[in-house]
Amino acid sequence: MSETLAYVPLFIKATGTTIWLSWLALLIGAVGGTAIALLRTSRLWPLRVVALLYTEAFRSVPILIVLFFAYFGAPVMLDIDVSPFLAATAALALHASANMSEVVRGGIESVGRGQWEAALASGMRMRQVMRYIVAPQALRVILPPSVGIYITVLKESSLASIIGYFELTRTGLMVRETNGGGFGPLLVLGVIYFLISYGISLCGAALERRYAVGGASTDAVVGGMA
Amino acid sequence: MNYTFTLRTIFPYFDTLALGIELTLTLSVLAIVISLVIGAVVAVMRRSRLRTLRFAGAAYVEVMRNTPLLVTLYIVYFATPALGIRISSFSAALLGLSLNAAGYMAEIIRAGLIAVPRGQFEAATSQGMTAWQMFRHIIFPQVFRTIYAPLGNQFIAVILASSLSSVVAVNDLASWMQTVGANSFRFFETFVVAAVVYAVLCQAINLARLQIGRMLFRQPELRA
Repeated sequence: MSETLAYVPLFIKATGTTIWLSWLALLIGAVGGTAIALLRTSRLWPLRVVALLYTEAFRSVPILIVLFFAYFGAPVMLDIDVSPFLAATAALALHASANMSEVVRGGIESVGRGQWEAALASGMRMRQVMRYIVAPQALRVILPPSVGIYITVLKESSLASIIGYFELTRTGLMVRETNGGGFGPLLVLGVIYFLISYGISLCGAALERRYAVGGASTDAVVGGMA
Repeated sequence: MNYTFTLRTIFPYFDTLALGIELTLTLSVLAIVISLVIGAVVAVMRRSRLRTLRFAGAAYVEVMRNTPLLVTLYIVYFATPALGIRISSFSAALLGLSLNAAGYMAEIIRAGLIAVPRGQFEAATSQGMTAWQMFRHIIFPQVFRTIYAPLGNQFIAVILASSLSSVVAVNDLASWMQTVGANSFRFFETFVVAAVVYAVLCQAINLARLQIGRMLFRQPELRA
């Protein structure tokens, strides 16, 4: 354990990388997920079908094989350079956007029809209804489960280590190797992930109490393990 | 982009594909069974009258749900030999996957137990039922109804998560995609095949869940 202490700065830096990677993926996933959710609630059925297929596809395919494809397959196929960072961000964001779209859709649908009708009847345009009527109410429903999605992304970001991206897990494995095996560094990894994830989930629980509007709970929406 | 999608190029690898699917399924089914058992024990612990047991149960759930499965797998995979226990990589993957999944199963089962009102337990006891009778006829049917849908989702999550076993040298479906892709340079084809197989497995469970649920939980017919 004592030799692991020398690696504290390295672990801190790697924790930063993991948080940066997972936040970036969450952000892209949230934007993409909102777009998909808008398609899901569109009046045109082909758009609804496309959005449904997208969501179902990414929710029933393991993120690992998406990652493998992004890193090993895409460069051969499209003749482009793909860095481990790009591949990991893309795979995480695609997966997060599918989960996010379900949450956002739930949020939009939680706003009753009457609200739409009333807003349109008072002469608002669609954009205005979305911006001033639906979004503020939907956000209350969307926020708490988004915390659950972030935790999933954070844990999934450990997969980036498999394609050689130096985030927290990769760093732990490297420290383990330079120390000649054992599993002390891996326990350190577990503790760091636990502290971040549990801390955030406590914040999420507080958010949920504060914004409780009878929406879906954090656990119910995304049952994914990572 | 001059890449043509030709499934024919990976036909020679289809015999190993079957083995990969078989391993993925074996691993998932075993992990589901084991994690259900551990999960049930943990869920009951969390309702115990002893504070220590309640705490241990809660700690287990929080630790498993807040650490990446990959890290759990690595710990099991590297710690067992370090502690002098020799197990195959399949067993290590199975153990890691089951321990992790059990955290989620425990929460689902606990939610099911909470949904049964206290009065049901009291009423059953006052009828002179034995503990087994109470469980069999009163508690289980109600718990089962609540946990049925989330359990189905969790089974799917286990299948998807089993793909990580490829990291600790188990030749499952994800590993097949990776190996064959690397050997043939036909990553797109292997990806599509693996993705379709995973998606079919997941959607099959989903449909089976809906269909069986419709049969099991049919509303009692109203008689005029």
